[in-house]
Amino acid sequence: MFDFPKHLYTDVRIEETSTTKISYKKSTLQEEKVRHNKGAFVRVFDGKRWYYASTTDVEKLQDTIDELASMATPDENIDDHPVVKAFETNQDTILQYEDTAIANVPVGKKRALMEEYLELLQAEAIVHHKSYYVDARTVKSIYSSKGANVTFDKQSCGIRMDLDIVFGDKKDQASVSRAAIHFEELAGLKDYFETEIDKNLAFVRDAEPVEAGTYPVLLSPLATGVFTHESFGHKSEADFMVGDETMAKEWKLGKEIGQKHLNILDDGNVHGSGYAPYDDEGTKSEKTSIITDGKLTGRLHSIQTAALMEEGPTGNARAVNFEFEPIVRMTTTYIDKGDKPLKDIVANVKNGVYIDTIKHGSGMSTFTIAPDRAYKIENGEITTPIKVSVVTGSVFKTLSLVDELSEEFELLSFVGGGCGKMEQFPLSVGFGGPYTLVRELKVE
Amino acid sequence: MKKETLSIRTKETTARIRNTAIEAVRTKDIVKKAVRVYDEGKIGIGGAVGDVDERTLEQQATDNLQAGVLYPHSLETGKDHRDLNPSPMDAQTMVQHTENVLNTLRKDFPEFSFSEAITVRETTYTMQNSEGLDLSYHDAAFELGLILKEKKSANLFDGFVVFEGRNFDPKRFWEFNREYLAAYNNPVDFPKGDKIPVFTFQSPEAKRFLMRSLNGENYATNSSLFSGKMGEKLFHEKFTLEQNRNPKESRTAFFDNEGVRMSEDRVPLIENGVLKNVFTDKETAKRYNLNHTGAAGGAYDGVPSLSTAPLRIKTDSKDIKKALKGQPAIFVVVSSGGDFTADGTFAAPVQLAFLFDGEKLLGKLEEFTMRSTIYKMYGEDYIGTFNPDTIYIGDDLQIQGYYMDIKR
Repeated sequence: MFDFPKHLYTDVRIEETSTTKISYKKSTLQEEKVRHNKGAFVRVFDGKRWYYASTTDVEKLQDTIDELASMATPDENIDDHPVVKAFETNQDTILQYEDTAIANVPVGKKRALMEEYLELLQAEAIVHHKSYYVDARTVKSIYSSKGANVTFDKQSCGIRMDLDIVFGDKKDQASVSRAAIHFEELAGLKDYFETEIDKNLAFVRDAEPVEAGTYPVLLSPLATGVFTHESFGHKSEADFMVGDETMAKEWKLGKEIGQKHLNILDDGNVHGSGYAPYDDEGTKSEKTSIITDGKLTGRLHSIQTAALMEEGPTGNARAVNFEFEPIVRMTTTYIDKGDKPLKDIVANVKNGVYIDTIKHGSGMSTFTIAPDRAYKIENGEITTPIKVSVVTGSVFKTLSLVDELSEEFELLSFVGGGCGKMEQFPLSVGFGGPYTLVRELKVE
Repeated sequence: MKKETLSIRTKETTARIRNTAIEAVRTKDIVKKAVRVYDEGKIGIGGAVGDVDERTLEQQATDNLQAGVLYPHSLETGKDHRDLNPSPMDAQTMVQHTENVLNTLRKDFPEFSFSEAITVRETTYTMQNSEGLDLSYHDAAFELGLILKEKKSANLFDGFVVFEGRNFDPKRFWEFNREYLAAYNNPVDFPKGDKIPVFTFQSPEAKRFLMRSLNGENYATNSSLFSGKMGEKLFHEKFTLEQNRNPKESRTAFFDNEGVRMSEDRVPLIENGVLKNVFTDKETAKRYNLNHTGAAGGAYDGVPSLSTAPLRIKTDSKDIKKALKGQPAIFVVVSSGGDFTADGTFAAPVQLAFLFDGEKLLGKLEEFTMRSTIYKMYGEDYIGTFNPDTIYIGDDLQIQGYYMDIKR
């Protein structure tokens, strides 16, 4: 297919994406957009430096390859370079969604479904709303000078309604959404949306300011997911450790960093937002046990970080789209479920905070969660809604403070948003887990 | 049928940095094009990434008219071409600057490692229509964004070294960054007191909150904190916030997504503390009988609509040291993860901050939490917005000062 230059490593990733977006302001149609785009990312490696190019001129990819090669210095022994040796040469085609491609569902049907759900937004307190239906199917093909030839597809769709809610002086925004893989899964969700809308209305009407302090905090599966992603997930990305002795020592495999019941995994094979059966270097995705029984047992790798740290590849080199190079990213990351019913966990909390939904999170030395809906836990019951700006904890200490994990467990996909790592945002990732009780976090 | 075309071309060369060395060089040349057609009060749009033939996009746009999206507004006219950087830095010079910066960092600051990217980015944005509109905006910038990590630290990263500007002055860059990195290596005691002057680059959280509160739709539908308060004094009398499309100051196109230009590229939203306007596109202004400010946003291939606007606080003060009257202050460099509640209460953890005398960074402070409210920050606790000469991280840099409640 391509004439790869001699004595250099080269790979090409072609992405072909079909998307739909149908948006409304109140009940007025704002946009009905159907697009089909194609682009490619090319990498050339000479053993010392990488040369990258992104292009929409997919018909002239050979020219792009040759241009990059002209900047590189060929090395006769390139095949012996540890990074090049580590690249996999998978040959596979996984087009799971070819027969059920979401682009084949008529746009009128998508509009009709969205308009059915808009009928739910009749409450007087919902003074304004913006809503949209989105879908995307991407087919990726990865070819390398070592012989990799992998093609796979990924599909998602979803509905999101952003609400402006007003009760007198009490004003807030809220959103309700549901993501899916197939269009049919978005039908029949009236009860789900109604319940979520009602929860948001009640929250805005009744929420009180929180009394700042340190509390035991119960996290919903969504909040557990953000907590896992921000407090620990990014620390497991090996590109932060390459060439860094302190980090390598701090995050040495085998180190105990949580209690025995704590297990954290990352798995690109989970269908949903983080699905990637192969990563963007053509490496087969693994189910990686990052923490097992409270001990660090793995980390997430690209081929480069795996080779440099002499560990196995995990299939975590991902790019936000064809304009960027793959870097180490999470796929679907989660805390495994525990064995205690949620009601028993709540029953043992005298004075705590429950975080139900979230706006955003971040993780440096201190990780943060900005909750959307949060509630008091008083004498074993979830009670009054509370307004919380931010919940914070130390990245280094908090995992050891995870005291309880529920048997109830949920993995989630999302409509809009995603993970940001420097210039690459938003990357679609999945997360979730059980209800998680953290012994103490700062609540502001 | 009327027709409008848009194109955005982005060319860039990026040096990817890992452990204070260039790991990769990336080039990009991406064109995004759209064609809009208008017929009988409706709009249809075709768009693509890549240099797709205009007739193909026009056909897409014509087909899209059947969706029935209403657009009962007149189109803009007039010619305005602006080139803010006719001679952008070339890729070779960028790589040379990168090598020089990395050499100095490796030699003089071996206790840190630096990673991420240095880029030269060039953007050309054009909009034309069948009514005679002909707009063009070209700009280019040198963007240095390095994450700083102490080699002895187990954090993912500990701070940033950044610069973004049309021109790059290595002398000024090193004057500031040598002081910054020396201060980083000098841990100092926290200033006394629970309410301390704090200086920040424009707080993204505050910007987001003001953006939501000054959005014309939110204002008119009573979901803004400021709804019903037009003409009222909300903030400190020297606080002026503008919708600013002056590319020199805001590095944004001087026209909105409907091709609208405003006089002097700016509209006051809050002037001397008084709410004067909320930002609007054509539809919002008409529907809710508000002043039209030319704030249509949206994707290049989307229907123009109201979302966000380029907000900028007007510089109102000159001398930080004089404003501090000898009081020690805090300069916040990294504060990640904080937010406002809907009623305007603010709390944020601060991961990296320095003791500041109004001119120089004196030493590094331990992590803390800052708290305030939107009304206090820009009201009774507002110190001012400054263009300090001594802090060199980009063109026309601004910092804001306010007294904050501090919790260590």
